[in-house]
Amino acid sequence: MEKITEAINRTKAYYCVECGKCTSACPLSRFGDYSPDRVVERALIGLPVRPDLSVWSCLTCGRCKEICTYGVDYPEFIRRVRSIARDEREQGICAHGELFSVMRLLARPSAPPQKRLYWISKDLKVRDKGDILYFTGCLPYFDIVFRDLGLHTVEIARSTVKILNKLDVEPVVMNDEVCCGHDLFWNGDIEPFKRLGALNIQHIKSRGARKVIFSCPEGYRTFKLDYPEFFEFDFELLHISEFLAERIEEGTVDFRTIDAPVTYHDPCRLGRHLGIYDPPRRVLSAIAPNFVEMASNRENSLCCGTSGWTNCDSFAEEIRGERLKEGVETGAQIMITTCPKCLIHFTCHMSNRPREYNLKIVPFEVFVARAMGLEETTE
Amino acid sequence: MTVKSVLVIGGGVAGMQAAFDLAEAGITVCLVEKTLSIGGRMAQLDKTFPTNDCAICILAPKMMDCYRHENIEVLTFSEVISVEGEVGSFKVKILRRPRFIDEELCNGCGDCARVCPMGILNRFDMDLRVRSGAYIPFLQAVPLIYALDREKCMRCGLCKVVCGKDAIRYDQKPEIVERTVGAIIIATGFDPLDPAGITEYGYGHYDNVLTALEYERLISAAGPTGGHVVRKDGTEVKRIAWIQCVGARDTRDNRPYCCSVCCMHATKEAILTREHHPEVETFILYTDLRCFGKGFQEYVNRAKDDYGVVYIRGKPGEIREKEDGTLELFYSPYSDKVEILDVDMVVLCTALIPSEGVDVLAKVLGIELDEYNFFKLKDPYNPTETTRAGIFVAGYCQAPRDIPECIAHGSAAASRAMEVVLGGMRNGKSQ
Repeated sequence: MEKITEAINRTKAYYCVECGKCTSACPLSRFGDYSPDRVVERALIGLPVRPDLSVWSCLTCGRCKEICTYGVDYPEFIRRVRSIARDEREQGICAHGELFSVMRLLARPSAPPQKRLYWISKDLKVRDKGDILYFTGCLPYFDIVFRDLGLHTVEIARSTVKILNKLDVEPVVMNDEVCCGHDLFWNGDIEPFKRLGALNIQHIKSRGARKVIFSCPEGYRTFKLDYPEFFEFDFELLHISEFLAERIEEGTVDFRTIDAPVTYHDPCRLGRHLGIYDPPRRVLSAIAPNFVEMASNRENSLCCGTSGWTNCDSFAEEIRGERLKEGVETGAQIMITTCPKCLIHFTCHMSNRPREYNLKIVPFEVFVARAMGLEETTE
Repeated sequence: MTVKSVLVIGGGVAGMQAAFDLAEAGITVCLVEKTLSIGGRMAQLDKTFPTNDCAICILAPKMMDCYRHENIEVLTFSEVISVEGEVGSFKVKILRRPRFIDEELCNGCGDCARVCPMGILNRFDMDLRVRSGAYIPFLQAVPLIYALDREKCMRCGLCKVVCGKDAIRYDQKPEIVERTVGAIIIATGFDPLDPAGITEYGYGHYDNVLTALEYERLISAAGPTGGHVVRKDGTEVKRIAWIQCVGARDTRDNRPYCCSVCCMHATKEAILTREHHPEVETFILYTDLRCFGKGFQEYVNRAKDDYGVVYIRGKPGEIREKEDGTLELFYSPYSDKVEILDVDMVVLCTALIPSEGVDVLAKVLGIELDEYNFFKLKDPYNPTETTRAGIFVAGYCQAPRDIPECIAHGSAAASRAMEVVLGGMRNGKSQ
C-alpha cells in the first residue's frame, strides 16, 4: 500500500469533516497559522503532502487527538508523514546540534562503549540482575548537554533510585541500555529506532527483569505503545508515579509535608498519550497540602513547546511562555513535572527572561525524594 | 386467550399517542410513567420547531385527553419491575412509589406547597428554580396531585396541619400492583447528556455555559425567569453562542450518532432569543447543518434573513472564561486561522441519550438494546418491533427522532399492538 494511504487508513484521517476543532485548540495555531485539518484534507484529496513546515512544526502534543470527536489520530498521521518525508531525504531542524547523530550512532553495531552509569554514587543500591529494572533513559546524556542551563538531570535518576531503595527495591540498571529511540521514531527515522528497540529488549530480557520502571514519559510511551508493534516482550511497565501511588495506597510510604504551594505540569506523553493524570497528583497531594492546578490541566494541558528536539522556534517560545504564565498565576513558586524535556524547555525559556518568572521547575522525582527525607548526593 | 389490554411504558409524547390511539379503538391501556406527571420532555420545551408553536399549549390537551380517557389508566411515579408470560398474556408487576399524599383525596389546591418551608431545586426546571418540598413538577402537571419530597423533608408537619382534605400520608409505603396485558409498548424517551465530561467546554466550571434544555427553561415564559434571558449573576445578556453536536457525533465516548434535533432546536432557541430580546446577538457554531425535515431549511433561512441569526461553520476547540465572566470561544472557520468569538453566554446542544434505567428495563422485558442503549429492532423493516414478540417500541428510545416523528412512531406501535390484542393473524410477529 502506498505509505500515505496507509497513514490515512491507520489514523482514521478519512473521518475528518474539517470542523476545525483541532485547529482552534492547537497550541501552535494560537501563535501562527497552523491547521491540522487542512493538512489532513490535502492528503485526503490526493494532493502531495509536502515535507514543509506543516509537517515538522507539529508538536505531536496530542491536544487535537484528545478533542477530535471523529477519532482522527493526527500526531500518528504526522509521524507517518515524517517517515515519508525522510524517504525523500527531508528532515526537521534539530535544535540541539548533533543529538540525533548520537542516537543513530548508538544504534550501530560499531557503537563505541558507553559509560552510562557514571552517575551511580556510593549511596545508591543497584544490581545487575533482578526482578525490577529502572530504565534510566537519556538523563546521563542530558546532564552533560544541558549543564549550561544549571540542570543536573542525573539527580532525577539518583532520586528515582533513592526512592526505590527506600521502598526496599534494589533496581537493575544497565550500562548497555541505549536510547529508547523516541525522538528518531517521531522524526520518521524508523530503521535506527528499530535497532535501538531490539537492543533494549534484548538487554532487559538478559537481566531477567519482570517489571520495568520509568522516570521518563517518552521512554515509557515508547515501550508501552510503540515497541509492541515491533517486538515481543511480556515485562510489566510502570511509571515511577504509578509505582509510588500504589505504595501510598498500601500505606507504606511516609512523606514530610511541604507547605509551599506547588503546581503540576502534565507532559504530553504521560498525560494525553498514556492517560496518566491521577498517579502523579495522588503522590503530590500526599506531600503538598497546598497543591494547586493551573488553568489548563490534565487533558487540556498546554505543551512545553517542542517534541523530539525539532523546530524549536519563536512559536515554541510563545507556547512555553504561556504555560509558565499559567504557572505563575497559580501563586505557586514550584512547578513540578515528570518529563526531563519539559524541565529543559521551561528552564531554558526562563533562563533568557530571568525577571519575568518567579517560578522554579522541579523534577517530580527530586521533589518526592526530598519529601521522603532523602539527602541529595554531593559531587 | 389474548388479553385485550396494552401496557405503555413512558408517558411522553410518543407513549401518550400510542395510549390514546389504542384507547380510541376500544382497547384498555395501562400507561406507566416514572415521574410525577405525564408529558415527558416536550413539556419542558418552550416552543417547537419549525413552527414556533407553544409546546405546552399543544401538549396539555393531549395530556388531559389521555388522563381522562375511560380506557386509559395512568399510573405516575411508577415503574415496571417484572414481566412474565408471553405475547397475548403478559403478567406485569408495577412498583408505585409513594407520593406521601393520598392520590384520591388530593384536589391539587397547593396549600401544602405554600406552607412548606423547604427550598429544593426543581429537576423539571433543570435545577434553575426552587420548588417547595410539597410539589408538582410544573403548573400543567397531569395528574394534578401533589407529592412530598421525603428525602429532603425536615418533618415539621405543617403540610398535614393545613391540608383541608386530610390527604397527607407520612407513612405511605411503596405498593406493587399487577396488570395482565396482551402487548407492551416501550416509549421511555431520552435524557440530555451531562456535558461535564467534555472538559474543553468547561460546563460546570463556567457560570454561563448552559445546556440547550437549561436554556429552554430560561427562554420559556413559564420558566424560572419568565422568559427573560439573564446570566447567572442576573445581568443582561448581550451575545449568545450555540455549539452543536456536543457529545454527539463523538467517538470518544462511543456516541458517533447524530441526535437529529440539535441543528433545529439551536435555530429555534436563537430565533426565540431574537424575538424576546432583539438587541441580543446570536451565533450558531455548527459542523454541518442537517436541515432534512419538512420546513427545516426554510426555518434556517428565516433565522438568517428575518432574525439575523449568524451561522458560523466551525466547532470550537476551547472556551476560556475571562475575569468578568464573559467567554472566549476559539474556533477555526474553515481556514488556517483561529478566530475568537467573545460572548457572554454559551449554550451547548448536548447529545440526547436513552433514558437512565433502560438497561434494567430491557432485562425486565427480556429484550435487547443496541450498542448505544437504544432499544433494538428485530429487523429494520418492522420499525416498532423489538427482539421479543408482543413488545413494541416508540419514540426516541428506539432511535433519534423529532416530535412529529415520535408521534407517528407512537401511532405505528399502537396499530401493531392493536393487531396483537385484537387477535390478528401475525400474533405480534413480523412477516
